[in-house]
Amino acid sequence: MDESSLRIYKKNEKKIFTKVNIMIYLMIVPGLILYYIFRYVTMPGIMIAFQEFTTGGFKYWCGFENFDKLFGLRAFWQAFRNTWVFIGLQYLFIKPSPIILALLLNEVRIMWFKKTVQTVSTLPSFLTWVVVSGIFIQLLSPSTGYVNVIIALLGGERIYFLGKPQLFPWLLTGIRIWKGVGYSSIIYLASLGGVDPELYEAAVIDGATRWQQTMYITLPGIKNTVVVLLIFSFSGIMGGLFEPVFTLTDGNALLDETAMVLDVYIYNTGIRQGKFSMSTTTGLFNSIISTILMLSANWASKYLTEDGRTII
Amino acid sequence: MLKRSLGEKIFNIFNLLGMFLFTLIIVIPVLFVFRNSFELSETATATLRLWPEDFSLVFYGMVVKDETVYRPLFNSVIVTIVGTPLTLLINALGAYTMSKRELPGKDFFAYYMVIIPMLIGGGAIPSFLLMRALGLIDTLWVLIIPSLASGWNMTLLRNYYWSIPNELTESARIDGASEMTIFVKIILPLSKPVLSALGLLSGLGFWNIFYAAMIYIRTPRKWTFPVKIRETVMKNEGNDKLWEEMMVAAGFDPTELLINQSGLGGAMMVVSMLPVLIVYPFLQKYFAGGIMVGSVKG
Repeated sequence: MDESSLRIYKKNEKKIFTKVNIMIYLMIVPGLILYYIFRYVTMPGIMIAFQEFTTGGFKYWCGFENFDKLFGLRAFWQAFRNTWVFIGLQYLFIKPSPIILALLLNEVRIMWFKKTVQTVSTLPSFLTWVVVSGIFIQLLSPSTGYVNVIIALLGGERIYFLGKPQLFPWLLTGIRIWKGVGYSSIIYLASLGGVDPELYEAAVIDGATRWQQTMYITLPGIKNTVVVLLIFSFSGIMGGLFEPVFTLTDGNALLDETAMVLDVYIYNTGIRQGKFSMSTTTGLFNSIISTILMLSANWASKYLTEDGRTII
Repeated sequence: MLKRSLGEKIFNIFNLLGMFLFTLIIVIPVLFVFRNSFELSETATATLRLWPEDFSLVFYGMVVKDETVYRPLFNSVIVTIVGTPLTLLINALGAYTMSKRELPGKDFFAYYMVIIPMLIGGGAIPSFLLMRALGLIDTLWVLIIPSLASGWNMTLLRNYYWSIPNELTESARIDGASEMTIFVKIILPLSKPVLSALGLLSGLGFWNIFYAAMIYIRTPRKWTFPVKIRETVMKNEGNDKLWEEMMVAAGFDPTELLINQSGLGGAMMVVSMLPVLIVYPFLQKYFAGGIMVGSVKG
C-alpha cells in the first residue's frame, strides 16, 4: 500500500487552511452557531439588571437601583434563606445517601438480589419531576394516599402533608433521595469494585473483621471518588431546585415560608409577573454566588484530589 | 476462611432486610399510581390494596379520546422523534472536530462550549426575549433547537472517539479515504454503544421536557405531556367541582358513582412512564458497561 497520503496528512495536520482541516472545522460549525445564538447572544441581556426594563422594553439605565430594591425585599431574603436550607439538607442527607447505599449493597453477597435492588432503585431517576411529584402528591393525599390510609388504620389523625410549611423541606429531601439515590450510587459501586481484592485477603489473614475492612480498606479506597464528586457538585450548587419545588408546591403560597427558593422566585417575578428587571437582578445575584463558589471549589480541587484534577 | 462470626451473620440478615425494605419504598409509590390508574371507584382507593377492586380502563380511554390530553402526548412524541436524531448528529459531528489533538485552535472549542457558558449566562429573561425575537414562542421548535448542541455531550463523545485505535483511521488514510468517509465508515459504527446511550438519554430528556414548555408555550394545544400531567394532577387534588364537570363531560353520572379522582392523573403518569420502562433495560446495559461512568470530566 501507498503510505504517502498518510504522510501528507501528518504533515498538514497542524496547518489551519488545508482542504482536510477546513472539512474538519466545518463539522463543528452547526454546534458553534447554535451556541452563539442561544448562549452568547443572550449574555449581554444580563445588563437588564442595571436597567429599568419592563415588558414594553428598555426604559433607562438605573445603576444599582434594582439591587437596592431587591435587597430591601423580605420575599427575596426568604427565598435566599430557603435556598441555603435546601443546600444544607442536600449535603447533610442527599449527597451521603448513595455512598451509604453503595456500601450496604457491596456487602450483599447474593448477586441476583443485589442486581434487583440496583435495577429497581435506579429507575426513578429517569422519570420527570412532574411524574415524581405527581406520584407523591397522590401517595400523600389526605383522603386516598397510602400514607394517610396507614395513619388512619393505626387510629391516627390524617395529615395534609403537602400543606404544612414546616414539613416541606423534609418531604422534598426525602423525595429527592427517592429519585436520585440509586442512580448516584452507580459510580460509587463502580469505585468499590475497583478496590484491590488482595487487600481484603490480606486483611482476613490478619484477622480483620468486616467492619474493620470497611473502615480501613473500603472507605479509603473510594475516598478520591467521593472528594472529586463532592467538589464537582459545587458547580451547580444553586441550581436544580426549580423543577422539584415547583412541581411539588404548584405555587401554593401557603408553603412560600419554607418552599420559595431563588429559582422559583426568578420565574415568578420575571415570567409570571413580568418584572423583567427584578428577575434578571435576582438571576445575576444568584449566578455571581454560584460562580464564586465554583471557582473556589476549582481552586481547592487542585489540592484535595489525588491527581490534581480541576473542574475547569 | 469462610467461617463467619455471629455479628457478621446478624449484620447480613439486617442488611438484606434493610435492602428489601428500601426496594419496597422505591417500588410501592409507583405501583400505587398503577393501581390508581385502573381503579374506577373513589371509595375503593382508600385501602392498602395494590390491585384495583373496580378494574376499569376508562381513564386510559380518556387519554386516547380527550383531545386536550392526546394532543400534548402527541406533541411530546414529535419533539422526541425530531429532537433526538438531530442532537446525535450535531454532537457526533462536533465531537469529531474536538477529537483532533493536533488541530490548530482546538482548545477554543472547550472554552467556547463548556467553560464560558458555565461561568456567564444571560438567564431566564434574556432567553425569553430572544425566543420572542426569533418568533419561536408557542412553537414546538423552541423545545428542540436551543438544546440541540451540548458541549458536555461533545466532550463525552470525544473521549470515546479517543479510545478508538489510531491504526484504524490511519490505515483508512493510507487508502486515501477523506475525513467524511473516515467519520461515517469508521468512527460512527465503532461509536455505536456510546451513541445509543446518548440517544436514549437525550430521547428521555425530550420526552420529559417541562420547564421550557411551561415558559415558552402558551397555547394548551401545543403543551408537552408533562405540562398536561401536572395540570391534571393538580386540578384534581381537592377541586371537586372541576372534577365533577369533567366526569359529566366524559359521560358519567356523579350522583350514581363516586369516580376515583386520582385515576386520570394516574393513567397519564403511567403512560408517561411507559417509554422509560421500555428503554430502561437498554440503558441498564450501557451503565453496567461503564460507558457513562467515566464521563465526569474529559
